[in-house]
Amino acid sequence: MAALVYYYIKTKKVVHIRRVPGLDAIEEAVGRSAEMGKPVICSFGIGGFTYWTLAGLAILSHVAHLTAKTGSRLIVPTGGGDQALIVRPVAEEIVKTAYTMEGVEDQYTPDDLPFYSGQQYAYIGGYVGVMQRVRPGSVIMTGSHASEAMNIAETSNTVGAITITSGSYISNVAALACASDYILIGEEAPAAGAYLSDDPAQRASIRVQDLFKWLAIAVMILGLAARSLGNDLMLRLLAT
Amino acid sequence: MAEILKNKQLQIIVMALSFLFVFLPYFLNVPQLNTASTKLVTICSIVTAFTVALAVIAQFRRGMNIINRRSRGWYFKAYMLVTLVLMLGFSLMGRDSGPYQWVMFAVVNPLSSVNYGILAFYMASTAARAFRARNTKALMLLVSGFIVLMYQAPLTGAYFTGFEPISIYLGSTFSMAAGRMFLISVTVGAIVFGVRVILGKEPSVLGISKEEK
Amino acid sequence: MMAKENGGILKWMAEYDRRYVYLVLFLVMVGPLLRPIGMPITVSPDTVQYYNVLQEVQPGDKIFFTLNTEFSGYNEIQSGIIATMRVLVEKHARVCFGVAHVEATIIPDLVIKAVQAEMTANDYQYGRDYVILGYIMPNEAAVAAGAENFHGVVTQDWLGRPIAGTFLDEITDWEDWDLITDFTTGICTGYIINHYALRGTPMIINCIGVSIASEKPYLDSGIIQGLLQSMRGGAELEFLIGHPGPGLTAMDGFSFGHYMLIIFILIGNVGYFGYTRQQQMKAATEGSKNG
Repeated sequence: MAALVYYYIKTKKVVHIRRVPGLDAIEEAVGRSAEMGKPVICSFGIGGFTYWTLAGLAILSHVAHLTAKTGSRLIVPTGGGDQALIVRPVAEEIVKTAYTMEGVEDQYTPDDLPFYSGQQYAYIGGYVGVMQRVRPGSVIMTGSHASEAMNIAETSNTVGAITITSGSYISNVAALACASDYILIGEEAPAAGAYLSDDPAQRASIRVQDLFKWLAIAVMILGLAARSLGNDLMLRLLAT
Repeated sequence: MAEILKNKQLQIIVMALSFLFVFLPYFLNVPQLNTASTKLVTICSIVTAFTVALAVIAQFRRGMNIINRRSRGWYFKAYMLVTLVLMLGFSLMGRDSGPYQWVMFAVVNPLSSVNYGILAFYMASTAARAFRARNTKALMLLVSGFIVLMYQAPLTGAYFTGFEPISIYLGSTFSMAAGRMFLISVTVGAIVFGVRVILGKEPSVLGISKEEK
Repeated sequence: MMAKENGGILKWMAEYDRRYVYLVLFLVMVGPLLRPIGMPITVSPDTVQYYNVLQEVQPGDKIFFTLNTEFSGYNEIQSGIIATMRVLVEKHARVCFGVAHVEATIIPDLVIKAVQAEMTANDYQYGRDYVILGYIMPNEAAVAAGAENFHGVVTQDWLGRPIAGTFLDEITDWEDWDLITDFTTGICTGYIINHYALRGTPMIINCIGVSIASEKPYLDSGIIQGLLQSMRGGAELEFLIGHPGPGLTAMDGFSFGHYMLIIFILIGNVGYFGYTRQQQMKAATEGSKNG
């Protein structure tokens, strides 16, 4: 897989990727918030440096650029876990850099990245509180959220915000699909950084993802056929 | 020295080497590699623990800054810092009894349980709002949701046994397939994400913006 | 015509305030808790499978009792935790408590307090029969290191006393555990599965309701040997072992809560078809008339 990614990066082939409604909606959501004069809330999860959190940071970077361009206020609730303490400085750096790159460094306010405790439910208390007080135009909740995802999505719906979420656990996906306006399922969130980027190398890695999924489907069908014929070769090949 | 440590290429090289140290022992049984891998993993745990302590210090400094400036909500910061110091003191006085246990049972447990319990109400209101038979797919979702909810209620099985086989069938086929599909797609996404990180194509890892890259 | 005349009630059914859901749900769940009714329950096949695994535990088996839950999750799965511990004590297994969350460090004390009578009856002694290690699984690195070289990672219990001289002297790596009983809200379970269960260590899980869909694939593929599902599974286990507890107490409210939710969903659908859909069709008709 690494070799395939490297091949695509080197050949710089232009890769077509289907539209992901959830990611396209981010721009619409921020724009709507700007029109209504309401802030945008964007969170990147409560985990440490897992790949869900990194995906959330990639989306945070994109949202920060958009809010800097549109002049909307961006609030980034941080905390929720012990590991979140480590990620927070990176998030601050990302938001500050985005505002600096857009030439509006004076609009960056460190107080808009409040730390709401390293305890999950204390964090959600603060998060829900800020949503109830500021009444955001949109809530973009990506990254590694556990059970508090439901709290956030439902409260966001209550205050009338556009809700864009990503389900990092299968159990979250089901609940968030009901509660959110847009949802990023499975690898759509980790692919966000590549999807939103103009870098052909990054977009090529999404193509490799799809190729590998086709391979997985082929192996599944082969395994199913082999097992039906009484042969467990595929099972033994894939067993750990 | 600081400039060398800030170098992005160096950070990517360290990440790639760390990946190899942890990844290769799964496939190659080299005792020295296994030892190095275990040591590296242990070092990571210790570094993480120290990073948490560092973050607490950073929060303390930031909190004192906010209190000194009397910014909006400074009293909440003061409350946070006081409780932080108190809990530290309580834990040093003993964790199996005394004020530490009292705070855990009388404050932390009820507060986190309440927030967790609220989930049930949010789930209920979401389900009541979302399960509308707007089209055929939504109708199928509604019917299957009805069957699963009836089965999940323990009382149902005592009087209506018909829900169990259908619910178990739905759970072990469609739900199982969706769960495994999700696991496969997430795993594939994670692997490719990791490859992008190691090749230096994922700027969010290093805390830089795409333009800065 | 009917929709117009009954626009009031149908409109309410389509657009009722969610606070009515909260209030009714609260009443139907708290009522049976305050005044239990004692309604019958059935036992699911998964709980029977979990119970059978526990019945195969032999005296002296080394059990890694992992608590991957915060306090809030403990309130949901405490029935399964206490019932499982009760069975293990009655089997005279040797139990090592490890937790994966800072809040869970005092949960072993709660569990031991709940089964104190059984432990006293079976002459359980700290060090020989059970050890509490505390917060030893903060992340995957710690779980992985513990699976490879247990004594390289853990040298003392959660009160700082050395574990040398306890039954943990017999543990070197993942192979030495006879069973892992994991009680989880999803914190470290994946790591334990990766570094223990996939290497062949028998493992059973008691998870919260929202994690069932995540853990079920592992059960069906044989990676784990048993799955106790949330508070209901704990109640069923209490029923199977003949020791009623907090799980069985909550089942009346559990059932009524589900039924109330179904009723609200049906009300919403009646309102949708009786009011919302009519309004949408009316708006579409007027829109096409106006061009």
